[in-house]
Amino acid sequence: MSAMSGLLELADIQGRPKRVWTQTLSWVLFALGVAVYLQFSIARHRENPDDRVMPTGAQLMAGIHSAVMDQPEEDDPLEDGASTWQRVTHGMLWKDTVASGERFGISLLLLAPAILLGLHMAVFPLAESVFLRFFLFFDKIVALSLLPILFIVFGIDQWSKIMLMVIGVGPTLVLDTYNLAKAVPREQVVKAFTLKSSNLDVAYRVVLKQIFPQVLNSVRLNLKPLALFLFAGEMIASTDGLAYRIALMRRHMGMDIILPYLLWVALLLFVLDGALRLANRRLNPWY
Amino acid sequence: MVLRAMERRTKTRVMPKQAETEITLRDVTVRYKMAGGGTKTVLHRLNAEIRAGEFVAVLGETGCGKSTLLRMVLGQEFPSDGAVTVDGKPVTRIDARCGYVPQKYALFPDRTVMQNVLYGPENAFCGWMGRLLPRFWRFRRELRAEAAQLLLRMGLKAADFGKYPMQLSGGMQQRVAIAQALLMRPPVLLMDEAFSALDPLTRSSLQQQMKDLWMETKPTVLFVTHNTSEALLLATRVLVLKPHVEGETESNVLMDMQVPHTNEPLAVRKRTREFEQLREHVKQCAFRETETGLIAGATTAQVQEMPRRGDAAE
Repeated sequence: MSAMSGLLELADIQGRPKRVWTQTLSWVLFALGVAVYLQFSIARHRENPDDRVMPTGAQLMAGIHSAVMDQPEEDDPLEDGASTWQRVTHGMLWKDTVASGERFGISLLLLAPAILLGLHMAVFPLAESVFLRFFLFFDKIVALSLLPILFIVFGIDQWSKIMLMVIGVGPTLVLDTYNLAKAVPREQVVKAFTLKSSNLDVAYRVVLKQIFPQVLNSVRLNLKPLALFLFAGEMIASTDGLAYRIALMRRHMGMDIILPYLLWVALLLFVLDGALRLANRRLNPWY
Repeated sequence: MVLRAMERRTKTRVMPKQAETEITLRDVTVRYKMAGGGTKTVLHRLNAEIRAGEFVAVLGETGCGKSTLLRMVLGQEFPSDGAVTVDGKPVTRIDARCGYVPQKYALFPDRTVMQNVLYGPENAFCGWMGRLLPRFWRFRRELRAEAAQLLLRMGLKAADFGKYPMQLSGGMQQRVAIAQALLMRPPVLLMDEAFSALDPLTRSSLQQQMKDLWMETKPTVLFVTHNTSEALLLATRVLVLKPHVEGETESNVLMDMQVPHTNEPLAVRKRTREFEQLREHVKQCAFRETETGLIAGATTAQVQEMPRRGDAAE
């Protein structure tokens, strides 16, 4: 009876569902996804025991074990007596995660100036005149179409992929920061000047501080486009990285590796997003 | 005491002396370009001299240019013709000569009450690098004590000092905003409908506090409001503006009158017969005729004939 009333309450806009209900419901779609997958997988394997498109649970577990513990084919094999830790740190998943993570991290660092540029464009009229029209245009260029040029300029190593990510996401971040800074009430800027603020005080201590939580949210929303550009670069030309491995496994129909890799990438982004959200809450308790 | 020390230490950032301060508006005209072409004149050949220590309320209906006038004194806007000077110097940009209390967004949302109030004096004391010096932290301790005193006087509790603006009511926020502006000791304080978003009770209490604080330090105040009672209760002088009609040659100033000033509490004064008469008179002279589309003429003379309270001290 109480379960029924709890369910009814969920359909009520003014309802205040109990925490246990909200927590349980937040896992329902995950459980449903797993159940549907397993159902289809079992059905396919019943028809064709050698089916490689939808590996069974056991095959997936074996794939995860292999991704974590086995070395990539292109590396020299480890000695027989290697410890588990050595095997993990020389494993496919570790190696690819480190390679992609490095590119991702460098791109994020290189995107910091984009935030500052957007801020300056919004605050300083001269910077706005110089950059705004250019970025409005530049933002419309499809970044992937620049990939051949990036390969020519930066080679097929690390930097072409990093620059693809920066060029792909940078203008969006610039314009987003610009819009956020422009939305700061004019009264705040005026007030700051009457309180003996310098131009830099207004830009950094008044405007940037106020928009910082929203800028962090913008970075969070841009994590996926960033990963998208990373994957595009890695799939086209790379010798390591998460997307490289997925592309490689696709040729062998290695879904038992591809699926764990997909989930791993999603989990990494989910954790990074959560960390940024937590940092936002801690750094900006007023927001 | 702390602010005096601040003035001594920051040679380049000395606060202007109060007695020299005045606001002058000479033949000020403000025209805006309209979206569909043509121009709209908001202020036309406005002349006014505001002496140091005056509390001037600017009254008028919506669109008469009250806030435009304030923004020009602030340095946020510039006249199309004419000149605005503060303390004898033309206003060319927004600076700390004028304190500012807007109707909304008066506080920095990312700073606590105390941080908001300290923001200005800290800037005035030194730049970013100066904050590394021990004397800055000594100064900050002393300043905190002074700020705390002021905030307590404004009706805040010590427990509120660490709160963020979003955790305060609108009235509390405005109290902090006034304290923030006053701690800078600006020679000119500009208030743009600063109490208009408050409930009547909070508004009355803030009006009294504002009046008391003004009596103590006597900054020059330019107070924009559309509330006749508020203007007459607080101000020593009321400037009533009317919307400019295109083609008209006369100025926007409909009325410029001195208000009899008394020391009695505002709540008491508001109920006196003299105040009621004065309020009605201003309403009739300033607003009755504009409401019917007519423009009032020699209203200043009519107002000057008003009886003044025997105990009034101008």
